[in-house]
Amino acid sequence: MSIRSRSPDGVVSRRPDSWRWLPLLLGIVAAVALVRPTGAVPAFNRQTGQNCVACHAGGQFPELTAYGRLFKLTGYTLGTRDVPLSVMGVAGYTRTDHTGGQDPSNFPKNGAATFQGGSVFVAGKVTDNIGAFVQITYDNYAQQNDQGQWVGHTSSDNMDFRYADRLIDAHRDLIFGATLNNNPTVQDPWNSTPAWSYPYVQSSFQVSPSTSGPLLAGDLAQQAAGAGGYLFWNRTLYAEVSLYRTANGFWSFMSQGTGNADQTKLKGANPYWRLALSHDWGAHSAMVGVFGLEARVYPDNDDPTGDTNRSHGIGVDAQYQYVLDPHAITVTASYIHEKTTWAPQLVDEEAVSNASDTLYQFKLKGSYVYGAHYGGSLTYFRVGGSADQALYGGGVDETGTPLGSPVTGNLAGAPKTDGIIGEVFWLPVQWVRIGAQYWAYKHFNGASTNYDGFGRNARDNNTLFVYVWGAY
Amino acid sequence: MERIPQRNARRRRRGPGARAHHASVAAAILAATLTGCSTLERSRDIGNPSVDGATLAVQVCSNCHGIDGNSTSPNFPRLAGQPERYIVVELSEFRSHERGDPAGFEYMWGLSRKLTDAQIAAIAAYFHRQTPQPNPAGPGREAAAGKAVLESGVPDTQVPACTTCHGEHAEGHDEYPRLAGQHADYLVKQLVVFQRTDQRPAGAVMKVIAHGLKPEQITAVADYLQGLTTN
Repeated sequence: MSIRSRSPDGVVSRRPDSWRWLPLLLGIVAAVALVRPTGAVPAFNRQTGQNCVACHAGGQFPELTAYGRLFKLTGYTLGTRDVPLSVMGVAGYTRTDHTGGQDPSNFPKNGAATFQGGSVFVAGKVTDNIGAFVQITYDNYAQQNDQGQWVGHTSSDNMDFRYADRLIDAHRDLIFGATLNNNPTVQDPWNSTPAWSYPYVQSSFQVSPSTSGPLLAGDLAQQAAGAGGYLFWNRTLYAEVSLYRTANGFWSFMSQGTGNADQTKLKGANPYWRLALSHDWGAHSAMVGVFGLEARVYPDNDDPTGDTNRSHGIGVDAQYQYVLDPHAITVTASYIHEKTTWAPQLVDEEAVSNASDTLYQFKLKGSYVYGAHYGGSLTYFRVGGSADQALYGGGVDETGTPLGSPVTGNLAGAPKTDGIIGEVFWLPVQWVRIGAQYWAYKHFNGASTNYDGFGRNARDNNTLFVYVWGAY
Repeated sequence: MERIPQRNARRRRRGPGARAHHASVAAAILAATLTGCSTLERSRDIGNPSVDGATLAVQVCSNCHGIDGNSTSPNFPRLAGQPERYIVVELSEFRSHERGDPAGFEYMWGLSRKLTDAQIAAIAAYFHRQTPQPNPAGPGREAAAGKAVLESGVPDTQVPACTTCHGEHAEGHDEYPRLAGQHADYLVKQLVVFQRTDQRPAGAVMKVIAHGLKPEQITAVADYLQGLTTN
């Protein structure tokens, strides 16, 4: 198969020898680390016959162009039916800045090149109105057994089944449809909402803070099943309402691989809503929007009965995009605020210190890709909210010893974690991305210095992640 | 890390009745969607010869080229008012992969690969009858120089006037595309393709012509053409 690619000056060169990369890349993949990948689907390429750059800004999957957004909103039905299968593999190398004097189990595979695993996609057009995106992911380092050996695990990943139709003529353009999915915002066409927001790939061996953000920012991914309707009017107004419930019983195919004790249990149907205004002019495209989720969550995953935690989450987001070959710029911003009123028994049992808590997440990301080959991004992220000693395991015991553990502890009992992520990457061919990502923390678990009470500083968790990400 | 303390407790079991209820709901949803109003009049299937080309023009082509052929993004050429013959030739060359510039293979090879001649003809007819809308003038300040290239060519390098083939008002005819109102960025990129490559064989005559143009002349004439309004 002859693969054609574009040189940075826009002139085409034939590259019949692109397959020569494959053994090398597979070798690198087999040599490198563990990550949490998100999707890129060559099955869609085969369906439309188009290159990745048609739908992904500068080829940086999964960041969608205006055309890619229309492809998604019309239910993945544009094109012609083809083999709806794709595979994806991600590998990486993780290195945390400071591990000396700490229990090495806090930094598994640190400094090691490790193969991760990958995903299988079943994605594409089913009928003129129905399409699907289904991702099944194998995590080569899902958990450790009693002997400390890593064990792989396969589980449901993002799923989005759609029905869509479009009424379009010279006077109107109305796309409307229905979505059935397993992750609030996975159905959204912009990359400022959580499910498809930056980072698009991330090491799983990174030290994790006490909380990564609100419920709406990923906590229900692959745990809930949602159904809803949406419309996109004159490429200007987007509106959606969906209802989410626990993905169990019949809907458990959407949460396969998630253990019962790990699955967040929702009470009844929980509304998600979304409004966005979009405008395209010249090579520019901009969007401002709001979204929200009202959720009732059982405090005990194993016993979904009784009172619930009531979570009120609302987000505002914006995206600006400039795509004019060879340049692709995408800036995304989002702020999600959540207030959770805890179930009374959690307060009674002192599992939480406050009757209610707030939590927010802010992200601002700018990325640039040149010639669909060379790119980079800079991101500021921040999670914050009310301190809650019991919730985050903060404070000290009567002897003055912190209640938490070294590295993962949270002396302040506060969610504040912020920092900057810098990334550069190279796309030698459109199906492969090789990149280096660096996380620099300013605060971690509520403090900049001595955040765990054992003398560890936020910057000690700074992490370098080098990855190879391929899909076909 | 879990935000909520976990507690061991018995798993609540669901009876078969609940499962059957969910299955029937899902079956109903599935039946409703599969029997939904799937019509050829609103199909986006580029591999079905039964779908009218005009339908594909509005359901597929319009995504980038605009419902009336006046595309917003300069990534995609304006098709409104283009000569039918020109669109037919280009789509046919995309389909056969004879046209191989980046715009061709990245976007158009796949979309055109299964189009029938009848569909191509209908798409061409659809965009030909659309009315070209004014396009804001390009960013260049060399309008006079651009106008001179358009109307007089570049005698020093034996570049003929664009109007010789593309029409007195750059409105295009037959296999010669309309240039008036076209995005300057697209015109520049295509002139460079003509100049440096053989990726557009149907426009081979442009290779010699583009060779005689300096970069600043290409920019000037493209900017001028973008702002040119001709019906």
